[in-house]
Amino acid sequence: MPPSLKAGKPILTARIPTFPYGKEQDRHTVSYDEYVKTGGYTALRKALSMAPEAVVDEVKKSQLRGRGGAGFPTGLKWTFLPKVAPGPDGKPGDPGQRYLAVNADESEPGTFKDRLLLDFDPHLQLEGIAIACYACRIKTAFIFIRGEYHHQTHITEKAIKEAYANGIFGGKGLLNGAKTATGEPWVVDCYVHRGAGAYICGEETGLLEALEGKRGWPRIKPPFPAVKGLFGKPTIINNVETLCHVPSIIEHGADWFSKQGCDSTVGGPPSWGTKLMGVSGHVNRPGVYECDLGIKLSTLVNDYCGGMRGGKKFKGAIAGGVSMGILGPDQFDAEMDFDIGRKYNVMGLGTACPTIFDEDTDMVAVARNIARFFKHESCGQCTPCREGSGWLYQLMCRIEEGQGKTKDLDLALEIATSMGIMPGTTICGLADGNNWALRTIMNKYRDEFEKRVKPSFIPVKMTIGAGAKG
Amino acid sequence: MAWITKQSGTMRIARREEPYFTPAMKREMTSKVLPRYETRLACTMPGLHLIQHEYGWVPAQAMEELAEFLGVSPAEVLDCASFYEEYWLKPKGKHLIGVCRSIACEFCGQPEVTEAIKAKLAIDVGETTEDGRFTLIELECLGACGGGPAMLVDETLHENVKPGVVGAILDSVKDDGHH
Repeated sequence: MPPSLKAGKPILTARIPTFPYGKEQDRHTVSYDEYVKTGGYTALRKALSMAPEAVVDEVKKSQLRGRGGAGFPTGLKWTFLPKVAPGPDGKPGDPGQRYLAVNADESEPGTFKDRLLLDFDPHLQLEGIAIACYACRIKTAFIFIRGEYHHQTHITEKAIKEAYANGIFGGKGLLNGAKTATGEPWVVDCYVHRGAGAYICGEETGLLEALEGKRGWPRIKPPFPAVKGLFGKPTIINNVETLCHVPSIIEHGADWFSKQGCDSTVGGPPSWGTKLMGVSGHVNRPGVYECDLGIKLSTLVNDYCGGMRGGKKFKGAIAGGVSMGILGPDQFDAEMDFDIGRKYNVMGLGTACPTIFDEDTDMVAVARNIARFFKHESCGQCTPCREGSGWLYQLMCRIEEGQGKTKDLDLALEIATSMGIMPGTTICGLADGNNWALRTIMNKYRDEFEKRVKPSFIPVKMTIGAGAKG
Repeated sequence: MAWITKQSGTMRIARREEPYFTPAMKREMTSKVLPRYETRLACTMPGLHLIQHEYGWVPAQAMEELAEFLGVSPAEVLDCASFYEEYWLKPKGKHLIGVCRSIACEFCGQPEVTEAIKAKLAIDVGETTEDGRFTLIELECLGACGGGPAMLVDETLHENVKPGVVGAILDSVKDDGHH
């Protein structure tokens, strides 16, 4: 039996039967009525009884870190919005138009956790949106759903319709115009915006460009979206799963939240809370599981996923979406928390959706697949990424076909290392993803690559320099 | 590849009398879409989705009509439409088969699935069958990694696809209804 959650019962998947707390075949889309019957929208009611600043403070205190990949503290992000000056009569001032953009553009290969939430519990997300909008004084929320998620778009649209019909959104204000702690009701509108098949729109400013009807080219920061975002107005961008955590934090408090997950062992900010972890690849029971952050990858695979497929040996795992890089054969016991980047030489936790490979996997082919993905999805705005991703793909193809030379390995590493915002050559992090993915694979499976290439030079028995003998 | 330049300067537009962007679509845009966004340009993507849903692709004339309706330049609509892969700027088959080729799917057996579809339909990836019923493409991650190999037939997702069941899935596709 897998270790149970510290909370005793699932939080994000409370209404979505998931192993070991429920059976997958019992899953169904939770309607508004069922959601309310099972305690839904009570957190929103509680939030409305608190001052907006108090809601932000509670989220800040919980140290909830963004679940979309970067792990940026959500509460802190919310405080970056410009302060609202009080009105002349001492009442809360008008913040003007601000936006919430919900990032449901889940396109990172290996990642399929938000789909679970969108599929089965759409109102959890809507409640999170409502609370976030109230706390941040936002009047309009856009849910950006990727184009390939047809079914999820229909479900979200239906849920929004239900929410409007029941006075959550629009009309007189949140919860049928309930009086809030500020003395006034707060009106929020919520819409769906469909993407059309571009990975880059998962980048926050690329997403804003797509919402504005332009090509999804990321913007140069600063100005940050919290100051100048959608249509030039202050904008908050949060991942679906992040917003789904907000209702339970408001309902039970930040202290309760801090009891799940784990603290940092390297002196960084803590990894509190639970996380949806979508495991794919060579395991017996792939799927999305809710676990405490800090769970070991081996525990996740053996106890939740029923072990490796066919009893094969573990060879490696994409840490959390291909951008994050790979965990090598000796890193099976890596703890899945936000420290993973510092401890195991990967970029970070990412979306915490590992793809597991068994001993039969050709790691050169894995590198080629990833290189092709980034070549295909580079938006073409910055030269190092547009050109570099293409070259890397060609090099990987050449090595896979056995036509590569030893110097190609060094060339590939050199190209990879020169790409990305960390060397400061591109606008967004897509090139960093490309860099980390290929660099970690090539470094951790160097011998496999070396076996596939021909030597670039013919070794001669000669020693020159200081060590040379007369 | 989103950034490949597509010929547009010398593009000849096949025209027809009847507008693609119908009054019914204009009504839907005016009532549902326009009030949501601050700028009319922002309505480009919903407009293109509407056109694509109706015709299965986005004809150049339709883009011009959409641009005129939104009061933006046709180049801006083309700019948007040519960036996003999901908009088809030339006709495709009645049904679109998109096989996921990303990491989890490829290493769980996607290449065999693609081969099985190619054999069944006698076309290559990127081609349309002679009767115009099916177009086969390979897509990047469909977000169904736990159920790999995954494929999308029109709007329906199929998970854990085995080469042996591909034939049955394709045979069950009905021609009525939308693209």
